[in-house]
Amino acid sequence: MSDTDHSTTPVIQVRDLEKVYTVHEKEPGLRGSLASFVRRRKTLVRAVDRISFEIDAGQMVGFLGPNGAGKTTALKMLAGLLHPTDGFVRVGGHIPKERRTAFLKNITLVMGQKQQLLWDLPALDSFLVNQAIYEIPNDEYRATMREFSEILELEGILKKQVRKLSLGERMKCELAAALLHRPRVLFLDEPTIGLDVNMQVRIREFIAEYNRRFNATVILTSHYMADVTALCKRIIVIDKGHIVFDGDLSALVEEAAPGKTVRLELSENVPDERLRFYGKLISREGLFADVLVPRNETSRLAARMLAELPVADVTIEDPPIEGVIGTLFSGTNKQPVDAVPVGAEQAAR
Amino acid sequence: MRLIRYLRVLGIFVRASISAQLEYRVNFAVNLFGSLLLAGGTLLGITILYSDGTRLGGWSYRESIVVVGLFTLVQGSIGAFLYPNLNKIGEEVRQGTMDFNLLKPVDAQFLISSRNINVFRLTDALVGAGLVIWAASGLENASGTGALLGLCLIVTALTIVYAVWFMLSTTAFWFVKVGNVTELFNGFFRAGAFPVSALPGWVRLMFTFLIPVAFVTTVPAEAIIGRWNVGSVFGSGVAAVLLLGVSRWFWTYAISKYTSASS
Repeated sequence: MSDTDHSTTPVIQVRDLEKVYTVHEKEPGLRGSLASFVRRRKTLVRAVDRISFEIDAGQMVGFLGPNGAGKTTALKMLAGLLHPTDGFVRVGGHIPKERRTAFLKNITLVMGQKQQLLWDLPALDSFLVNQAIYEIPNDEYRATMREFSEILELEGILKKQVRKLSLGERMKCELAAALLHRPRVLFLDEPTIGLDVNMQVRIREFIAEYNRRFNATVILTSHYMADVTALCKRIIVIDKGHIVFDGDLSALVEEAAPGKTVRLELSENVPDERLRFYGKLISREGLFADVLVPRNETSRLAARMLAELPVADVTIEDPPIEGVIGTLFSGTNKQPVDAVPVGAEQAAR
Repeated sequence: MRLIRYLRVLGIFVRASISAQLEYRVNFAVNLFGSLLLAGGTLLGITILYSDGTRLGGWSYRESIVVVGLFTLVQGSIGAFLYPNLNKIGEEVRQGTMDFNLLKPVDAQFLISSRNINVFRLTDALVGAGLVIWAASGLENASGTGALLGLCLIVTALTIVYAVWFMLSTTAFWFVKVGNVTELFNGFFRAGAFPVSALPGWVRLMFTFLIPVAFVTTVPAEAIIGRWNVGSVFGSGVAAVLLLGVSRWFWTYAISKYTSASS
């Protein structure tokens, strides 16, 4: 990265970024396959449609959106893998698609579903390959390995063949391999996919720690809300190639879910109509009921419920973030796109 | 130094490849047996062809053996150095792991062309080299200069094979599944088992200019048996440099069209 201007200019600058794919469509079945084999029907898919944003050094930003929204496409354009159809991108002052050495030595891409470790060899061998490729001096390599081993608890798994590691152990090694050169910009695409909860927490802690130590900029896409809520203050929601929200996670909750849930445990049965008087009855199971009330009237209505209903217990909660995101997509009348453009293209071939 | 760095990376790849394959020891014996069988089969064919003492298209029995030996040698080298790398390109594009190669701060073409070495296929190369030495030692016109020239021509031959095959494999960036490319390539390459100059004129032209099979075995063989001419030696060098350049350009074009695989 150009060291001169990192304090003033954002590390990542994106303006009117656009990616259009040509996609082959195919009718289902053998007949469709034959027809498509002879003549391909082409359509243009605007996977990313003129998005703009900036990210400062050290920020951790979550990309959210349904499948096929354009998150991964945007991420891969930032990493320099995909050439944008149009628009302006700078990462640390570099044009990503040029893939210059100075740029590549300062970024990394981690994909939870794909692995770069050599399958038949212990992870240490893959680390040595990366050490040579990234020209990491021996003492720096040893220091980094010590740090990573400590935080990720790698002892005992580094000398086992990768194919014999568990998914969680493999992911820890993948992360270590991807961060060995201490990149300043991290692109993490579903880094915790398929892992159990404990391992997810471990990976998250490691990412947070890495961000703190190296002031690294992190862009994270994940299906697990917990990843995003634990790591990212700022959220960019992408849907159908557009940015539909960019801001604080708390503001997102505010905007998309202007209500809170009052969970009641009643001491005796009450007809549904009496509960609907206070707000929207979300669920009702015997003596347990959830009532959604407007955010700014929460305390007033909760107090009235306590006074007027036979309440045994009450809790007030923010709606779960998964639900909030769901409302954001359905509420703005946006259907999630079914097919990931690139995947569709390749399946058709 | 850039070159030293690339050699270091190459050294690491070779060591990693060898240690990965040493896991499977039986494989080595099986491969050696396979190589001997392959060379023996072709040798038998040639022996039967020449059993009445004739010369085919001006090539004597021993001279043809040089071609067979070279074919086996080149095939072994392809199996050891080219096949394990080039055959994976399509697979990596399909699975999306090509992304990792493109993001490494070394030349991606170098990376995907040099990562893997199949040490067991070197047995083919050894058997082939043995055949060439044995056949050439009984020929009057064979000389040290010819052998040296032949060695250089084997290198240009491998360069030609690499460039053509690499371009075919790179089409995976558009077509994704290109396994058949390997078959297509092997089909043409098989023609190299026979001296191209022993073939009828139009076939000879095709194998020289359309699909440069002649450069792969016949031209180096001619050098070794002392029958080389400036034209074909020069042609071989030019073809190698030209094709390598074109493959480079094609690769650069291909990655600009890369669509990656979705996750």
